[in-house]
Amino acid sequence: MDANLIETGTKEILSTHGKGHNKLVPILLDIQESFGYLPENSVRQVSDFLNVRIGQVYSVASFYKRFQLTPIGKRRVTVCRGTACHIRGAPQIVTEIENTIHLKEGETSADLEYTLETVACIGCCALAPVITVNKAVYGAMTPRTAKELFNDSSRGDKNA
Amino acid sequence: MSKLTINIDGKEVQAKSGDTILETALAAGKYIPHLCYCPGLKPEALCRLCLVEMADGELITSCRVPVVRGMVIKTKSPAIDRAVRPTVELLIKYHHERCAGCPASGHCELQTVMSHLKIDRKRVRRLRPPPAKRPIDVMNRCFDYDPNRCILCGICIRTCEAIHGESLLYYIGRGHETKVAFYGDEKKCETCLKCVERCPVGTLLAKNLIEAK
Repeated sequence: MDANLIETGTKEILSTHGKGHNKLVPILLDIQESFGYLPENSVRQVSDFLNVRIGQVYSVASFYKRFQLTPIGKRRVTVCRGTACHIRGAPQIVTEIENTIHLKEGETSADLEYTLETVACIGCCALAPVITVNKAVYGAMTPRTAKELFNDSSRGDKNA
Repeated sequence: MSKLTINIDGKEVQAKSGDTILETALAAGKYIPHLCYCPGLKPEALCRLCLVEMADGELITSCRVPVVRGMVIKTKSPAIDRAVRPTVELLIKYHHERCAGCPASGHCELQTVMSHLKIDRKRVRRLRPPPAKRPIDVMNRCFDYDPNRCILCGICIRTCEAIHGESLLYYIGRGHETKVAFYGDEKKCETCLKCVERCPVGTLLAKNLIEAK
């Protein structure tokens, strides 16, 4: 992403928030929402704006799984590894997706198309095993349906 | 400062008002396990090892509670043991496996706590996760940080804060993957090495500067 774009975008976000240490998380959430991750320059701007150490911003940002420090792909694939999903085959689904989109868990593809991550629980255990792609939820997955999902969506992209 | 007496394990002990229970006990030669307490720093009660039992059976962190006239305190009881022993075992579980070769061996607070509580090393070995050795971080030209030995007591962070007004060191991450790091501010470090000096285990290691030059 363009450095200028990030700087002006961050400035805009900062102007909507007041100063004060308790504003740190809301600001970071807004930055995460608009850029998909926390760019280094944004973090620097935030630390100047709130007058907190850059280390403190990173300390907060690295604590919450919601915040990413590296760019994430257009499709953020989240596989649930909660107890229910684990028992119903989440590990096999992770392996299958890893083989289909050629990424390891926690990685982002070089063309910024996919990010593959696992979380502890999405919160819909009745649909186990669950994966989400961005905000779409896919329940009762099997390795085969998971494979089809990604094969189809990549084919769909090529046609579009 | 006025003097008062409190009762620790059935013995009358002289105490200064304003002192904490832990300070009084240590001054009287009565050891209470502790890791995150450091003289001169504001106690945070992070490690939960300095628990003592009050007369009514309540467990309190002795590093934070000031002495009150006529206090009756027990430093050893089944309730304390039930609370403290698992904490120590879990700490050691994620700690470096061998003491041999550790530069802090011999003056390590964790070793003191272990021998005081007579921790069964064999039992802890069973709890150990598969070994995942994390690389040693080079903090700056004066010291290194070994995440495998860190007990996250926060003494280095609070020391930095107390001496320089604002800490350069911060906790990074979450859970047992938490570590202490500079994150971009390492050049601002004035290398007073007080954090290294106060590290209760061998996590922060001063480099041999003569060798480095």
